[in-house]
Amino acid sequence: MSHGRELYLVGLSHKSAPVSVRERVALSGDSLKDALVGLHGAEGVSEAMVVSTCNRVEVYVYSRSVEAARRFFLDRTAEAQGHLYERTGPDAVRHLFRVASSLDSMVLGEPQILGQVKEAYGVASSAQSAGTYISRLANRAFATAKRVRSETEVARGAGSVSQVAVELVEKIFGDLKGRDVLLVGAGKMGALSAKALRDLGADRILVTNRSSERAAALAAQVGGRAEPWDALDSLLVLADVVLVSTGAPTYVLTRELTARVMKGRRQRSVCLIDLAVPRNVDPECASLENVYAYDIDDLQKVVAQTHQARAGEAIRAEAIIEAEAMTFARERETREALPVLAALRRRAEEIARAEAERTLAHVGDRLDDKGRRSVEAMAQAIVNKLLHGPTARLKEAAASGDATLPGAAAELFGVEADEPSRSRRPSDRKADDAEGAPSPGSHP
Amino acid sequence: MSILVLRLAALFYLGAAIAYVVYFARPRHGWLAGAGQALLGVAFLVHAAAIGLGCKEFGGTEFFSLRGGLVVLSWLAAGAFLVLSRMYRIPTVGAFVTPLILIVLLPALFLTHAGKLEAIPEEIRRPVLPVHILSAFLGIAFFAIAAGVAVMYLLQEREVKGKRFGALFSRLPSLDSLDQLNQRLVRAGFVVFTVALVTGTIIAKGVWKSAWSWDPQQVSSLVVWLLYGAMVQLRHTGWHGRRYAMLTLVGFALVIGSMLALSIPGTTRHGGDYQ
Repeated sequence: MSHGRELYLVGLSHKSAPVSVRERVALSGDSLKDALVGLHGAEGVSEAMVVSTCNRVEVYVYSRSVEAARRFFLDRTAEAQGHLYERTGPDAVRHLFRVASSLDSMVLGEPQILGQVKEAYGVASSAQSAGTYISRLANRAFATAKRVRSETEVARGAGSVSQVAVELVEKIFGDLKGRDVLLVGAGKMGALSAKALRDLGADRILVTNRSSERAAALAAQVGGRAEPWDALDSLLVLADVVLVSTGAPTYVLTRELTARVMKGRRQRSVCLIDLAVPRNVDPECASLENVYAYDIDDLQKVVAQTHQARAGEAIRAEAIIEAEAMTFARERETREALPVLAALRRRAEEIARAEAERTLAHVGDRLDDKGRRSVEAMAQAIVNKLLHGPTARLKEAAASGDATLPGAAAELFGVEADEPSRSRRPSDRKADDAEGAPSPGSHP
Repeated sequence: MSILVLRLAALFYLGAAIAYVVYFARPRHGWLAGAGQALLGVAFLVHAAAIGLGCKEFGGTEFFSLRGGLVVLSWLAAGAFLVLSRMYRIPTVGAFVTPLILIVLLPALFLTHAGKLEAIPEEIRRPVLPVHILSAFLGIAFFAIAAGVAVMYLLQEREVKGKRFGALFSRLPSLDSLDQLNQRLVRAGFVVFTVALVTGTIIAKGVWKSAWSWDPQQVSSLVVWLLYGAMVQLRHTGWHGRRYAMLTLVGFALVIGSMLALSIPGTTRHGGDYQ
């Protein structure tokens, strides 16, 4: 490994630490930027990135040692001790890939985490703590997450009750534009679902409750309009989706009421979602035409099925992550061989030029232009012929994952490799030898 | 010659149907929907060429037989679906419509005329005749696609209402979009079929010397027209969803039933020697 730098990860997550510890180390906005600058300035650290969400805080450093990352946590709270996990090298790479692909999430396959990792990388870039290595790592992590999402069913299906509700409503009404949602009662699940439906473009959210204060409070919370409880019948005629979660011990929506409402609606379809226990919607309502009624059990059954299916798919996702982590490691080794090559070539060309100049200084005035060019060309040709074999060998060794040969070559020829250049993109796996090494010091 | 080109078109229809059906089964591969549409487009063009060649070979007489009817019907249905899929994003509908088109076309691939084609009688050769034929078939094509959509609606309704949420649930479009598509197809079919009825009456007046003569073809067409007209009207009184889908299927069954019944020689003066 060049200069002995390695990827280190230190972190804590919902699996290792309670929220009381997580909230002490969680960072966002400017404090995150400051922390990155601090990490980046620490001894031996050449690059750093911090992923901070409500479920995890993870510090990735490309560094000579794990120390700075560990201190990041312990400086903030001594309580972190004992909740931290550490990974090094390929294990750290694999961990980031798993996190980005949502295999390490509380809800397997949840879609937000990839965006959060992207954001973490964005902040690290703008704080200039992410260099070549982390850029490559992050981009490979995004590509891996994308592959996992498209090639497996890990992210498929609805993972929560409100997601199931949304999916159902979409299958009945398609577009939610111009639709009204009615929230009956003040249950938390109802509010969550109502918000999700509004995000999908539902027109209005009407809120009603036996207590008008609570209706007003809930309406403010979900961005809806409070309506009087007495108007329930006419509200039902208006609304296309009805979320019911009151504390009432009996049916609030009886079959008879629903039948009457359907007449008032001129049979326009309605979706009744009963989130209450005991139930508030008579299951008999479902037998009416154009009435689609579900209770909490129906929704939870779907959630359970989704989780089961996702867990089965996780095995396939792990295989993708394994393959991507290996590709990433191989690419890195290939790149590490190239600086040695470039240094070797530069050194040889320097010698050739110097020798050609010395020769020309002695005999140059006895030669015409053509003769001078021949001398220069000969020097260059010797360099090329001599380096042809070693170049091929080194590339071959690097591609097959052998890191010892580049090191031996550097040792043998007495050259020191520079860090690979910042400008090189992760996509070009094999740079040709015409690509020069970066000027020394381009990278701290 | 035209039969060979027609068989080639059928191959493209087959390709399109396979692409759409596989897309339905594996919606992850979005390119399959595009491939299905492209293949259907090619099939439509080759089919058009086959019809053109057929006209050259038989002077248009072949379209006065059941076989010719199927050829034109499937062609128009393919065209109508191509137009629809440019208007709406409904690639899953292709999995239902393209196999249907292929089935309609299938008998025409193996039945041949065996030289018994008679010339079109002079008295019905008038400018409105092609309008009559095309509008009749186009109307039926719309009704056929509507029936396919109605089947999709009923399947999806069973999933949604029965709380199944299986593979069909996730692949079929929403109930509302299927219902609306069905309604629009019925309305379009009704308008076009009205044109067919009016032009048919004009021709009947000229040939049979009376606009209405209780010919079975006239009666069945009128019944079909009234049924679909009623569906257009019922929409305004709130009829939709399951009932509407059922009615669409009943209407199409009537269309197919009368087409088959009237193809029995001697039942109608419509076709044959028109006397």
